[in-house]
Amino acid sequence: MNINIRLIIFAIPLVVAACDAIGPDKSRDRGIDAKPLTELKAGIWVDSEGCDHWIIDDGLEGYMSARLDKYGKPVCSGVAPPNVATGPFKAGTQIFDPTRPSEHVTFNR
Amino acid sequence: MTRLFFKRFATALGRALGAAALAMMVVAVFSHGASAQNTRKFEGEIYRPGVWIDPDGCEHWAMDDGAEGYMDNHLKRDGTPVCHKVNTCAVVNTDQLFATDRASINAANRKRLEDFFRKAGAVAYGINGHTDSRASDEYNMRLSLRRARAVARIAQAVGVRVASVRGYGERKPRATNATAAGRQQNRRVEIMCYR
Repeated sequence: MNINIRLIIFAIPLVVAACDAIGPDKSRDRGIDAKPLTELKAGIWVDSEGCDHWIIDDGLEGYMSARLDKYGKPVCSGVAPPNVATGPFKAGTQIFDPTRPSEHVTFNR
Repeated sequence: MTRLFFKRFATALGRALGAAALAMMVVAVFSHGASAQNTRKFEGEIYRPGVWIDPDGCEHWAMDDGAEGYMDNHLKRDGTPVCHKVNTCAVVNTDQLFATDRASINAANRKRLEDFFRKAGAVAYGINGHTDSRASDEYNMRLSLRRARAVARIAQAVGVRVASVRGYGERKPRATNATAAGRQQNRRVEIMCYR
């Protein structure tokens, strides 16, 4: 029963997305929590080198891009241990997340 | 986790498709004007991106095609990112900090830097040394790194986290090296604040 509900909830955005074709302009999130992508809220995910990536959970879509300094070098700030995502990366969406939260960790810095 | 994996897979796929699309466009451009027998038709889809600006002030390409999201750094052709308000929280002119060709910091300046690092409150700091264009490139690379390290040692002594220490010598001027005023601006140590 629980699984069925999850499947249904997961399917809703797919159905909505299928309703109308998206044109060449991919700069907006349409349907549920519609907004221009300039409003995405990011957190930091730290890779196994200890370097930072912007991570964004925007409901159905996920985004990731390297955090670089102005000279193009990776930023390895030590904001979290390797393989940890931190910060408000799930803050930009109202869509219920059908996946179970992964393992939570606490850390000092 | 599976979801994240899915997303990363989707991003990788998106990049691969993007590369393929780019290759097609390149072929299309170069084949333009070629004789009919050499012309081949390809298909592409228009993916016009939005621009997302990260909290450091740098641009990323962002696209949502209705189901998947894609993102990548907006880089110039030289590989450096396109950034706006950059998170440089201090630029210290090295004339105030160091004697000519030296990398040692006197007590008064050490105190100033210690106060700065105690108050700035960032998660970590990046420290970049720069020189003007006098003396050789190689010498300037070494001098700028020694100076950046001198500043980094003060940060570490205060107990803050130093993410990186780099010397760029004369290679990243922020003003012209043709005038005395420009050269003075180029002799600097930049402190980046990562929050």
